[in-house]
Formats: sequence, structure tokens, C-alpha cells
Amino acid sequence: MTPTPPRSVREVFLGFLSIGARSFGGVLPWAHRVLVEERNWLARADFLDVLALCQFLPGPNIANMAVVLGRRWFGLPGAAAGFLGLMALPFVWVLALAALYADWAAQPGVRAVVSGIGIAGGGLFLGTALKLGVPLARKPAAVAIIAACFVAVGLLRISLLVVLPAAVVLALASARRRWV
Amino acid sequence: MLELFLYFGLLSLLAVGGVSSIMPEMQRIVVESRGWVNAAEFTQLFAISQAAPGPNVLICSLIGWKLAGISGALVALAGICGPAALLAWWIGGVWERFRDAPWRILVQRALQPVSIGFVIAGGYVIATPEGLDWRNALIAAASAATLYATRVSPLRILAAGGAAGWLLFR
Repeated sequence: MTPTPPRSVREVFLGFLSIGARSFGGVLPWAHRVLVEERNWLARADFLDVLALCQFLPGPNIANMAVVLGRRWFGLPGAAAGFLGLMALPFVWVLALAALYADWAAQPGVRAVVSGIGIAGGGLFLGTALKLGVPLARKPAAVAIIAACFVAVGLLRISLLVVLPAAVVLALASARRRWV
Repeated sequence: MLELFLYFGLLSLLAVGGVSSIMPEMQRIVVESRGWVNAAEFTQLFAISQAAPGPNVLICSLIGWKLAGISGALVALAGICGPAALLAWWIGGVWERFRDAPWRILVQRALQPVSIGFVIAGGYVIATPEGLDWRNALIAAASAATLYATRVSPLRILAAGGAAGWLLFR
């Protein structure tokens, strides 16, 4: 089925609103579901292309995606509508949840549960990295870069201001030699 | 408030691969260097931002909210999203023009392992707020393995993490 882009700025806003509204446990799967499967605004390959760009850009991936796609469809109003639609409901909910939590934080049981959720959330990052990393696992240079970035930032806690430029230079050099 | 905006604005431009990649840096600034929240609070705010639907960048609005209420929350969110959104706006236009250029493909290939390494570091920092021990290693490893190897919803994985926390940390 050929994708049909949204017809109005309002549609863009509502589409991204529905992504934000339901994005428990991560925004990306919901973005794919709404943009490709439910609304058919984008072909799957096109979605992947835009996602790749947004992962390489700094900042929250799906918020960047809202800006890039909104711009493609309706220029500045589209970008603003996508971004605000995505952020509006999650912003309200996270503050409401935090306010509720403040009343309960003294309870050791509540603290224990929330700590457990936080650690499991950290685990989701690791699981996602595993999924993303599998295609690179057969390239020793890529594995070495992954490991070096983890050790520098995660274990040694060196500032990204130092690590990022060094890592990019190293990675570009490896990519030119087709090591990664 | 200005300090909050500037620090998050700077972090915004460093967050290659998403907000997860700047978690260690954010923790370093927010907890160790500025002392805006302590390490346990940081992990709890992260947990709340994970439990609520939406981008986990919202941890920034929670930190802003801790510091200065609603206006702090808005300022922090504008700081962490603004510069990146402007950059996305600009690069998005360039990207559409150079769809098949070789340099674009090269850069994309180079950045993949870097951003994966940062995501792993982010997960590690979040999962070990008070250092590595068997309990957080167990929860994080089980959560990572379940996400990787099964189709179980992340929401259920987080719920299971909460249950494990109840059993192990009380």
C-alpha cells in the first residue's frame, strides 16, 4: 500500500499525540506502529532512513523524528505540531506521577519498587544495545569501539566532551578502512 | 534557572544516539558537580520517567521540577530539546538533499558502534546507582535478556523489575 502523508498540520499533531499518549516502555515501537502501520504516512524503509538520521543527530530520537518529518510535510508549523504533540501528554503525566510519588517516597516498599523499575529500565537499555549491536558483532573494530566507549563513559566516567570527539575520529578512521 | 538551561542545552547537543547516551554525563553534572539531586534521587527520577509513557528525556523536566517547580520543568525540557531540535531541523533539510551521498553512508556506519557503546554505558550507570551488587546485576541482566530474547512487552519487564525491587530492596 502506497503511503499517504498527513493532509493537515492538525493531523500531524494528533498522530504524534497518540504516539506520546501510549508510549509505555519506550517511544520507538509506538512511533513505528502509528506512523507506518496505523496511519500509513511512511513506508517502512523510509521510517528506517529517518530513524537512522535521528539516531545520529543529538537529542531525543523520536522528538527529532517529529521535527524532521513535520518539516518534510508542512515546514515549520508541521515540525512544531509534531514536536508539541509528542511531548504534551507525557510531560503532564510524568509530573503527575512524580507529584504522587513525592507523597509516597517515605515508604520503604515504594522506594524498593521504584528502584527495581529503574534498574530494569537500565536493563532495557542494555537489551536494546544488544539488539542494535548484533549486526556489528562480527567486526572486531566495531566491538572494540563499543567496549572502549562503554569503559570510558560507564566505568571511568570520563566526560563526553572528551570521549565523543575522540570516539568519532577513531570511528571515522575505522569506517574509511571498512573495519566497521 | 539559566544555569539549568545552559547545562541541558549543552547536553542536548552531546546526546548522540538519544538521551540514554548522556545519562552518565547528566548524572555527573546533576549529581556530582552541581549537587541538584543526590544519586538515589537521580535513579528514582529516572525510574519515574521510565514508568511514565513518553520519551525518557522527561527525566530532565523532573530534575527541573525538583529545583524550581513547573517553570523549572519547562525550562529544563526546552534546554534539553531546543538545540537538538534546531539542529534536526537544519540537518533534516540537508539530509533529504544528500540522500545517496557516499559521505552520508560513511558517517552513519562510523557512528553506529559509538552510539551503541554509549547506550551500554547509560544502562550501566542507571542500573548501578550505589555501585554494582548482585541484586541490581540480577534485575538488569534479566531485564536485558528478556527484552533481547523474547517478545514480552517492555511494560511487563518494568513491572517485573518493580516486583523484584519489592522482594530484594525492602
